[in-house]
Amino acid sequence: MIVAAALIVLLPFAAAVAGLLGSRWPGGVSRTEENNLRANRRAAWFAVSAAVAALALTLWLAWQTSGSGGSGDLFWAEFLPGSAEGTLTVIGTGAIPISVGLQVNGLSVLTAILVTVVALAVQVYSVGYLRGDSRFPSYSAFISLFTSAMLLVVFAADLLVLYVGWEIMGLCSYLLIGHWWEDRANSRAAVKAFLVTRLGDVAFLFGIFTLGFAAGSFRIDDIIAANLPTGTLILATMLLLGGVAGKSAQVPLHTWLPDAMAGPTPISALIHAATMVAAGIFIVARLFPLFPQPTLDVLGVLAAIGMLGAALAAFAQDDLKRILAYSTISQLAYMAAALAAGSPNAAIFHLTSHGAFKALLFLCAGAVIHHVGSNLLSHMGGLRRAMPITFWTMTIGFAALMGLPPTSGFFSKDAVVLAIEHSTSPIRLLLYGSALITVGVTGAYAIRAWLRTFFGEEHVQALAEPAPGTAHVFDGREAPRTMVWPISLLAIPALLFGFIGVADMDWPSAAISLLVALLGAGIVYTAWRSAPHADPARLLGPFRAPCEQAFYLDRAYAALIARPILSLARGVVRTDTHVVDGAVRGSARLTIGLSSFAKLAQNGNAQLYVTGLLAGVLLIAVGAVMWG
Amino acid sequence: MALAVAVLAAFDYSAPERMQFETDLSWIPGLNLRFHLGLDGISLPLVVLTALLSFLCFGYLAGRPSGPSQDATRLGVLRPRALVFTLLVLEFGMLGTFVALDLLLFFVFFEVVLIPMYFVIAIWGGTHRRAAAIKFILYTLLGSAVLLLGLLLIWSQTGTLDMVALAKSHPMSRSVQIIAFVAIGIGLAVKTPMWPLHTWLPDAHTEAPTVGSVLLAGVLLKMGTYGFARIAIPILPEGAEAVAPWLGAFAVIGIVYGSLACLAQNDLKRMIAYSSVGHMGFVLLGFATLTPVGINAALFGNVAHGLITGLLFFIAGAIKERYGTADMTRLGGGMLTRLPYVGSLLTFACIASLGLPGLAGFWGEMLALQGAFQPATALPRPLFLTFMTIGGLGAVLTAAYFLLMLSRITHGHPGEPTTTPPGPPVDTAEGIPDLTEPVAAATESTGDSAIPAPGTDRGLIAHGSDEAEGPAVPVGGGDEFAASAGGMHRAEESGVPVGPQAMVDPGAAVEMPRVEESAVPVGGGDRSEGSSVRVRGTDRTEESVVLVRGDDVVEVISGGGGQPGPGSKLADVMPSELAAWVPLVALTVFFGLWPSALLALTDPAVQSLLGAP
Amino acid sequence: MHVVYPAVVAALLFSIGVYGVLARRNTILVLMSVELMLNAVNLNLVTFDVWLRDQLHGGQVLTLFVIVIAAAEVGIGLAIVLAVFRNRQSIDLDRLRDLFEPPNSSDPDGSQPAATKVTTGVGPE
Repeated sequence: MIVAAALIVLLPFAAAVAGLLGSRWPGGVSRTEENNLRANRRAAWFAVSAAVAALALTLWLAWQTSGSGGSGDLFWAEFLPGSAEGTLTVIGTGAIPISVGLQVNGLSVLTAILVTVVALAVQVYSVGYLRGDSRFPSYSAFISLFTSAMLLVVFAADLLVLYVGWEIMGLCSYLLIGHWWEDRANSRAAVKAFLVTRLGDVAFLFGIFTLGFAAGSFRIDDIIAANLPTGTLILATMLLLGGVAGKSAQVPLHTWLPDAMAGPTPISALIHAATMVAAGIFIVARLFPLFPQPTLDVLGVLAAIGMLGAALAAFAQDDLKRILAYSTISQLAYMAAALAAGSPNAAIFHLTSHGAFKALLFLCAGAVIHHVGSNLLSHMGGLRRAMPITFWTMTIGFAALMGLPPTSGFFSKDAVVLAIEHSTSPIRLLLYGSALITVGVTGAYAIRAWLRTFFGEEHVQALAEPAPGTAHVFDGREAPRTMVWPISLLAIPALLFGFIGVADMDWPSAAISLLVALLGAGIVYTAWRSAPHADPARLLGPFRAPCEQAFYLDRAYAALIARPILSLARGVVRTDTHVVDGAVRGSARLTIGLSSFAKLAQNGNAQLYVTGLLAGVLLIAVGAVMWG
Repeated sequence: MALAVAVLAAFDYSAPERMQFETDLSWIPGLNLRFHLGLDGISLPLVVLTALLSFLCFGYLAGRPSGPSQDATRLGVLRPRALVFTLLVLEFGMLGTFVALDLLLFFVFFEVVLIPMYFVIAIWGGTHRRAAAIKFILYTLLGSAVLLLGLLLIWSQTGTLDMVALAKSHPMSRSVQIIAFVAIGIGLAVKTPMWPLHTWLPDAHTEAPTVGSVLLAGVLLKMGTYGFARIAIPILPEGAEAVAPWLGAFAVIGIVYGSLACLAQNDLKRMIAYSSVGHMGFVLLGFATLTPVGINAALFGNVAHGLITGLLFFIAGAIKERYGTADMTRLGGGMLTRLPYVGSLLTFACIASLGLPGLAGFWGEMLALQGAFQPATALPRPLFLTFMTIGGLGAVLTAAYFLLMLSRITHGHPGEPTTTPPGPPVDTAEGIPDLTEPVAAATESTGDSAIPAPGTDRGLIAHGSDEAEGPAVPVGGGDEFAASAGGMHRAEESGVPVGPQAMVDPGAAVEMPRVEESAVPVGGGDRSEGSSVRVRGTDRTEESVVLVRGDDVVEVISGGGGQPGPGSKLADVMPSELAAWVPLVALTVFFGLWPSALLALTDPAVQSLLGAP
Repeated sequence: MHVVYPAVVAALLFSIGVYGVLARRNTILVLMSVELMLNAVNLNLVTFDVWLRDQLHGGQVLTLFVIVIAAAEVGIGLAIVLAVFRNRQSIDLDRLRDLFEPPNSSDPDGSQPAATKVTTGVGPE
């Protein structure tokens, strides 16, 4: 089984290398039209075949680890009780060795299924979305590299190996967000994403150090079994939270996610909806026995703030992808809240169902954007006739987002709310209230997006060329087949996956949250009905602007962090030139100054020199006579 | 180089802490100086690194087309034989430093490298080479003088100069050790360079020619840190314990200081020089922890930095050659469009340099931080935890400046330099379609509203870089996609000139019907170098040399060493350059993915040097 | 004769010579004073040779050497004085100051070390 796991990780990596180096090479290297198409085809073959192979192997692994007789309250332990572990080599560093190894257990297999399914869907979808893009080979190679890294995170047995995969994911995120780097805004968004997550990753690394040194080993199983003192655990897990917040876009490190929408939509689906942002939640679930209550409380507070704030921000956005981005932040906060409430069960359940329906939503949004040529809601409308398949699948996605039965979102969201209700955490009231209000706002923004995209009159203008940041334009038709198939296939789990958790449902609480969601939706619907052309977000009134700007957090960061650092940088350069180097030059000046003192004696008069000579001789003679 | 490979093969890997291949000859009997050389696990990687980098430098020099002085760096033109001689003397000094096992012998080799380096900078360097060269040599000589005092102090106290013997027994008293450590430390710190003794480095790098920079950054800096590993710490352990907190403090100041200075730089090579200060800060932090993992980290980081920064300087030199300047405000953007392979390699090198896991730089940084997490028992732990935190933040800043630099140079549209180039118009030889037409502003940008304006996040950086990019980069963001998406949009349609500046339509398929697609594979490093130069038989009177690459771009160089004109195409990476760069890339990835290769070598030696408990 | 007398004479002659070397402006006078000093030394040498009754007469032998060297030296000296006079129309020693370095603005970078000439010669002490 470990070999299978190793292959799952390595195959996409190999595809990435092949795609980067071998797409163009044997064959025409110049960027002619024909060469481009050939390279694209070849790259697509590399990428898709690796994704298919990885998916197949993952499913095989799932079959291998499945069975009944599992125990424990973690639902994946029930379904997938098998496990395995293997170490390739141990790196001796002089202190604690790093064991390069993989492990397979229920959680990792489940997450791996999610990752491989979404990755395959995205790869196929991208073939259509980016047809004709001259940089498709590198794009698909980076997606493969990303998949490989995420799978490494999922299957890692050692925290430092996990960290390697963690950071490589961040790199791929940077490379992919900046895929259309001709526009500087994309480049900036990519840099921002990398830096914010990197900041979190530094704290993550320090947390790993704390855990590793306290336990004497970096292996996850060893650490969990080591029974560390609570103080160490609190410190270490707080540091780990830094990385979690960065990668999973929790407050306060969430600001990169909305801007990351500058990348192509399939990327948003893969990285920023289903997988990379799920990595933070995954790691908390994986290391859950290590998280003491204080840390979980901190996580809960951040989650409560995040879910409501992001939902409000989502309500006020005009850009469809940004709505989905803020929605992702909000849903991730949900999962974090479930973790804070003490139920990794509910969190992972919501993780998987969210992965499915959010990826679905993003891919459908991509199809819509592809069709319309713009991201903005104000440019859309009345598309349900033009794009029927997309309409139905996106409806399923929005329904799942809102939590309407029978979609998976209904079940998973209720699992989360139930977990919060039953939790013993001191902040459960805050979490519960926040979650409930968020359910309402979620319903509101989901309905708003749905209505404004698909209903009303059509605004589609015949745009000659797409705006930068969007792919090419097709108008008047449904999306191409390579895009429609993944969408349709993803709709199935979005619809049906939830029935896994049907046994644990608590109907009264489910009913409450359903009512709240419908209430939110209803308010928006009436507002829309009364004025189909106006944006229901006007309901926010004077709060609309702050919500849209995400409460000005970006500006605050720019003013408090970015600008001071840059002026500090300039100050450092000035210091270096004038002070430090000035000292160096000053020493030269000092030497020359001193020598000018010495020069005073050199006035060119030979007789003065001889006088000095004789005086010296006299002194020596006297000295020799007196002390000789 | 072959000898280095042979040594690599013959080294006994099962006992890397033992000195191997020793040579012990009597040299100056009167002073009891011995010509004692040897290799162990610490020196071996550095020796191979030196040999490799020197070999690659020579390969790089050999492959350059020696035509009219098309580059601003005078490398290929001026006295090539003298340059080779100088570099060989330099290599002699560098290799000698790493294998010397006698203190004064080490010092001799340490000094030997200064003279050839001075000449390399002073003769083949840039515009302010004289000042930079003199500053370099005087500063490092001053440091070496202090180093000599320290070595003499050791000699006078112990009566022997043999490093191996000294490492085993430590007869000196604590205060003497501290004095000696400070003296030796100052000397080595100038070389390393350690803040605040670093100011010679930016000037030296900015003015040095490419091979000079590569060897300076790749090897000479390692000599300083090697001295710490070989001399200062093993021979003076108590001195090291006393001074280590200071060393660590200066190291982390260097990390943060170097990163901040990089953020505000405009010259590419100067920026890489400051980044070296930052990386060496990590190495010194590793040394300061006085733990096996810390010193392993330092040695690993040494080798990694040599590979990665060597690669960075190679690429920077290539960029400087093509664009005529290394000033980022004049380079403009869009390198990935004009020179996709060079741009990608630059991206790779920057990513490696910022310490991404999976590439060699990560292990050095991470293990150094790990060492700082738990330093040697005699050292104050809270202080080192502070160092670790600051070092971590420095790592974030490192990422920031590299990515911002990449954003400025490789992303965006190819902008012209702000100064008008002096040469004749570049559209020259017949048969090459006129690519200097203005960019088709055929698409009205459907507004930046399509891209969610990131608000004012990093707005300052954006403004900074936009201004730095030069004037009026035409807002034609969509046309790139027109070119690539439709593939049918060529520059010739709708020639609405965008201002007086002409831009090349870079994404368009370049049809060069008369240029032979001599399918030169990108990886063909062993092709005859001369095949990349071919003079087009045109009836132009001026000397135009057309560099034909089997790639998509062709460079037309007019014979006047000015900058390439705004519309010119630049030659993408050439086989000779690839031959020099690919080994570095491969080794970076190799050591990144398999750190044991180096760690297994250095760890036993380190353990024995530290007197493993 | 007691040894004191020639010794004192020699000392007096030497002093006169020193005064001439240090204080006279005319270069020929300086050369003459140097001659005077050398001859004083000669007198001293002969005196002590006789007083110590040296078998090998080392003093007198050295005297002969000194006479020869003095003659050679004054020949060259006068040739130099002649050349100087032809060039500068003056043999005033105070005016021959080519070794003097007028103070110029020091270079801040120290990048032109050649600008500051290293002057040889002994300082005051």
